[in-house]
Amino acid sequence: MTEVETRQRSRVLWAVGGVAVVVVLAALTRYLEQNVPVFTKGTWLGGIAKSVEYPVYAILLGLLGNAVLTGLGFRDRLAAGFRTEFFIKTGLVLLGASINFAVIVKAAGPAIAQAFLLITLVFGFTWWLGGKLGIDQKLRALLASAVSICGVSAAIAAAGAVQARREQLAYTASMVIIFALPSIFLLPLAVDALGLSPAVAGAWIGGNIDTTAAVSAAGALVSEEALQIATIVKTTQNALLGVVAVALTAYFALKVERTGEAKVSGRALWERFPKFVLGFLAASIVATVFLESGGDKAAITTVNDLRTLFLILAFVSIGLEFRVAPLREAGWKPIGVFASATVFNLLVGLGLASVLFANFGG
Amino acid sequence: MSAEEGVNRERGLAVNEDWAATIAGLVLLGLVLAGILPGWLVP
Repeated sequence: MTEVETRQRSRVLWAVGGVAVVVVLAALTRYLEQNVPVFTKGTWLGGIAKSVEYPVYAILLGLLGNAVLTGLGFRDRLAAGFRTEFFIKTGLVLLGASINFAVIVKAAGPAIAQAFLLITLVFGFTWWLGGKLGIDQKLRALLASAVSICGVSAAIAAAGAVQARREQLAYTASMVIIFALPSIFLLPLAVDALGLSPAVAGAWIGGNIDTTAAVSAAGALVSEEALQIATIVKTTQNALLGVVAVALTAYFALKVERTGEAKVSGRALWERFPKFVLGFLAASIVATVFLESGGDKAAITTVNDLRTLFLILAFVSIGLEFRVAPLREAGWKPIGVFASATVFNLLVGLGLASVLFANFGG
Repeated sequence: MSAEEGVNRERGLAVNEDWAATIAGLVLLGLVLAGILPGWLVP
């Protein structure tokens, strides 16, 4: 075996080890979620334990695992197995099966309107503020895409579109995760404090939190209906990612780099279109037809259990992926821009969700 | 690995995960609806 093969084999083995860590922590999450309320029943902890849901256990166990593995020096080598994107997207395709297709059709209008307005306003604000503070154009594009569309996937697509540096991508991705983590807990608390309806709450969460996985975690903490609307809104934003990526490619080619080669084609749009959106829609159609033609409802319950399993795997991975180090390297300006854009997004998002989803019932 | 190769690699991985997740989700859905994957097997 050559040295290259040995190295590749060792990388694969570490990645498999990473997946095993995620699976073990997910099993522990399931165990705690089901048994802690039983163990603490009748004690002063009982009431709290009953209201703690699986996203909380999953993220906390992920963070704990992260601290232990970092301490042992294994975390970075195992990180290839922490596949948040794969787990969350599989979970969301399965989530599609629990949403009647009529609900998606009904929510599509306000969801598209909100996504379009929110992306335009938040992208514009972040781009403007980044310019005022003299941030590099490529980093500005990455920050604006990440905060206005869908976190890490948007940053990856924007990085490809503007030919950003790898460190800029790693830095933006870290910032997305650092800001998303507290939002998972803070937004549901704010929803309670503001007394929002499940639909408005879902639309607000879906339009604000940057990563799709964190949107699902926060939505699940509020209610099933909030989770469904949050997912529809976030999925709509995801679907618009291709349009923004292509626009950025054109802008950088024509205005910034002045190469004059702007590849604006249907193919480029398709390449950047998040394909799991199609899976989500297909699952909803299949399940709706299945139920309306007399299919067994218990089967959908099983699909929902499978969905929860994948969401737990994704939430554990969020905790395991969390890193603060890249932030120290980039200085305060991009953090300031990202934080201001997040606050702007929260306020504009709340206004839009309250107007567009005011009369949305189930 | 150059910076550009790094970004392209991340993009490639994201595209593959997108399709992999879509297929995995739909296959699991199909298996459950067809009764091949029973409820008791899902923890």
